[in-house]
Amino acid sequence: MDLRVPSGWFFTLLGVILVVMGLIAPGYRLAALTDVNVNLYSGVAMLIFGLFLLLMARRAASKSR
Amino acid sequence: MKLAPVDYIILATYFAMVLGIGWMLRKKVSTSGDFLLSGRAVPVWITSLAFIAANLGAQELIGMAASGAKYGIMTAHFYWVGAIPAMVFMGLFMMPFYYGSKARSVPEYLKMRFDEKTRGFNAFTFAVMTIFSSGISMYALGLLLHLVLGWNFSTSVLATAVIVLAYTYLGGLTSAIYNEVLQFFLIVAGFAPLAILSCAKAGGWHGIVSRLDANMTHSWSHMGSASQNPMGVELFGMMAGLGFVLSFGYWCTNFLVVQRAMAADSMSAARRTPLIGAIPKMFLPFVVILPGIAAVALAQMVGPGGVHLYEIPLKLGTNVKDYDQVLTTLMAKFYPAGILGVGLTGLMASFMSGMAGNVTAFNTVFTYDIYQSYIRKGAPDRHYLTVGRMTTIVGVALSIGAAYLAQYYNNIMDLLQFVFGFVNAPLFATFLLGMFWKRATANGAFFGLVTGTVAAALTWGLTVAEGKGGVFGQVHTFPSVMAQNFWIAIVAFTSCFLVTVLVSMVTRVRKESELEGLVYGLTKIPHDENARWFERPVVLAVFVLVVAVILNIWFA
Repeated sequence: MDLRVPSGWFFTLLGVILVVMGLIAPGYRLAALTDVNVNLYSGVAMLIFGLFLLLMARRAASKSR
Repeated sequence: MKLAPVDYIILATYFAMVLGIGWMLRKKVSTSGDFLLSGRAVPVWITSLAFIAANLGAQELIGMAASGAKYGIMTAHFYWVGAIPAMVFMGLFMMPFYYGSKARSVPEYLKMRFDEKTRGFNAFTFAVMTIFSSGISMYALGLLLHLVLGWNFSTSVLATAVIVLAYTYLGGLTSAIYNEVLQFFLIVAGFAPLAILSCAKAGGWHGIVSRLDANMTHSWSHMGSASQNPMGVELFGMMAGLGFVLSFGYWCTNFLVVQRAMAADSMSAARRTPLIGAIPKMFLPFVVILPGIAAVALAQMVGPGGVHLYEIPLKLGTNVKDYDQVLTTLMAKFYPAGILGVGLTGLMASFMSGMAGNVTAFNTVFTYDIYQSYIRKGAPDRHYLTVGRMTTIVGVALSIGAAYLAQYYNNIMDLLQFVFGFVNAPLFATFLLGMFWKRATANGAFFGLVTGTVAAALTWGLTVAEGKGGVFGQVHTFPSVMAQNFWIAIVAFTSCFLVTVLVSMVTRVRKESELEGLVYGLTKIPHDENARWFERPVVLAVFVLVVAVILNIWFA
């Protein structure tokens, strides 16, 4: 099993959830001391990280074939 | 702190994920070696991250933020002084003997190099220690979840224990290691935003520096005497106690971390494991310590309406600051639903990786070094696989027991934790002499180890720090518990070293042919001539050390 596949999917999913939270749920964007849309930004970062892992796993799989 | 449905969804997804990884890996287990040693087939990037994740338990995470708030940037010494040099030494100089000897555990190396009694002593203390550390860490998390979320202590302890048991039972060490990597990613994802947000709110690093006392934001400038810095430690105690004895004792001889490197798929990968792991390790202070330091600055800032932005929580019904709550209260202040779920999941992940690390190290040492050596020798491998699996269940059950013990006898646990802090200290002297001096003998090692441990206990019993200790009398008073701990380690190491040398001089040496592959000078150290330049351990080691020196100077 290539660990990059499950963890890639996990972070992609996490990223999607957070991006959606950041975009559609205005009440959830802020906390007492936070004035930026932290869900959106961290969501985008996690999404990129998840897709990067999936891409790396795919490259490794096609190389070994 | 209140959780929204989305936070529970994230937490549930994570639980499903770790169980799924365990389920997918269950078919890989057919021998005791697969279960307890990962069949020595794990890729190097995975062993490297697991190497540092196994150490990054919930207590470490909560404790580092707490120390950040209490001692400031000096806490980073635990990384830049107390971990990096030892990890480099481990990869360059010690791994060839561990991996090359084909020993299955740290105690087994001691048996090959010295004798049965030295192994027995180490295997037994290690087994007891892992169970209690695992239990204490469970207790810490259960208490915290109860405080901040109002979750029931037993429910959170039992539920997480069952999940850890399920995935380690299914996939053994491989499953624990794979999940540790996922947990490491999650800890960074869950806490890096907190570090950025809290630091930005406090006006960036410059804003923090301008608000705090100079000795909170400089790691070296106030080390001249113990009274100048918040840790109450002087330069020599810090360098020799933490930087040498405690850190090398932990990172080079604690089977919990050594086991991860031993699972690597080749000698070269095993040597690179601590070296590659050192790279993310160096930057972890910015994720785990920085929020604690920022919290102190935030507590001095006043927002609209004249209210302090943040206040360090107090222990229930007292005026004593409860630094252990800093991390979670900061999360509550900065995280909206969504990322709050990720942060909380990161906390659970750190707890699980710490516990799984202890349990997988415990079952290997118990199965090979206690059961196979003293209870039943020479059974078919199938039998030891079953024993390994049963030990995993027993290990989890004992940790739960230790967690409840900790709940009822708080002070005993403080004491035990303190004792475990220096149990590894004499051991490093044994390994240093064992690996680099072929004249060291079995009796020398054994009596050195026993003397070192007794000397540690005596030093503890005869000295006082912060009004505690001094059970056997009061010979010396330390400015802080931290200083006391460092000096106990120095005494333990020195006495073990001296006694091992003295006894070795008067006892019979083993034949050189018996020591091949175990001692420096009688072992072929691989040079990896065919490896690409960035895959060579020496190149990696130099890179890591240069960056560590730069970080130390930057925050001096």
